[in-house]
Amino acid sequence: MWQLGPDWRDEELLASRWRAAAPFPHLIFDDFVADGLMEVLDDEHVDRYEGDLFAFEASRPGGMRDVCEEFAAVLGPVLARITGKRIASADMRAFAYRPGHYLLPHSDHQDGLERLLAYAYYLPSPEPPRGGELELFRCELANGELVATESALLIEPRPHRLVVFDVSDVSLHQVREVLAGLRVSLAGWFYP
Amino acid sequence: MVLPVSLEDLLATRSAVIVANVVTPRPFDGYRRYALVDRGSYDFIDEPDAPELVACAAALIEQQTGDRRRYVESRVVRLVPGDYLLAHHDRIRDHGLEIVVDLSPTAAPAELHYRQHGQVFFRMPCVPGSAALIPRNPTVTSNHTYLSKLHTGEVVRWIALFV
Repeated sequence: MWQLGPDWRDEELLASRWRAAAPFPHLIFDDFVADGLMEVLDDEHVDRYEGDLFAFEASRPGGMRDVCEEFAAVLGPVLARITGKRIASADMRAFAYRPGHYLLPHSDHQDGLERLLAYAYYLPSPEPPRGGELELFRCELANGELVATESALLIEPRPHRLVVFDVSDVSLHQVREVLAGLRVSLAGWFYP
Repeated sequence: MVLPVSLEDLLATRSAVIVANVVTPRPFDGYRRYALVDRGSYDFIDEPDAPELVACAAALIEQQTGDRRRYVESRVVRLVPGDYLLAHHDRIRDHGLEIVVDLSPTAAPAELHYRQHGQVFFRMPCVPGSAALIPRNPTVTSNHTYLSKLHTGEVVRWIALFV
């Protein structure tokens, strides 16, 4: 199902880009195509989730096992070599952001969860979204405390684009509010 | 069964009330911007000069509860489209009665949520001129929901603590 395009061939170059990326390590691939994925997702049920941090529709945690296992098998070893992290598994949920949906700034890091890398893969939409960019923030720390945050990068949710980023105390990011259309993605984390 | 919170605390949170048409909203000057975005994005004024609101709140508390309470502190929070204040940014209160007066110029699709152990038990909609009284204890937190950019306008809330 998952196919790595030519952008993935030079792993040394990707590793240096990973380390140099700002505001924290990340990579963006625009040639990551998944054959037959849309047919699988057509059968995927989504529920509405809402909290103080988010409002979106998503599939239930722990679902999409076959798609997720193949995704981890194809990408895990490559990303392990590029990032130097010992990746063994991944999880995956499907997300649908409609107008008014958002995911406010957070880092993904939580003690005990062992999230190594986060990813988002954007799918073709019947109504391409306006808004819904992935926004990365630069964090300034003083004595281990966050004292300032600043928007550093906006990543458009283009179809077949894969974004992979480091998970740490300072990997602050958000999904900006979708203002029109439908933003469809797969997202989750890689684990040791 | 052992409850992680006292029965008194649980019952206290169930006595939150909303009262309509308490004040006529008025503007404030001197806002500062809070922008540690993992906690909140909003404008605020700590200890605004608003003796009429303090007096109004004290009278409302006495009317609603039969108790006379002492004013402790207050702040004004203003949200513009795209703003929010998350629950983990809220100040924990040992005890007291919080009063919120909605000073928004117009109604907006935004709410103030009060939570106990993560569960929302009280929602204050944005209705200009209304007020809410909420008993506080260490198990209660609040958050101002995200104000959509699909909406124009702002939300203004005066929030005071009485003991």
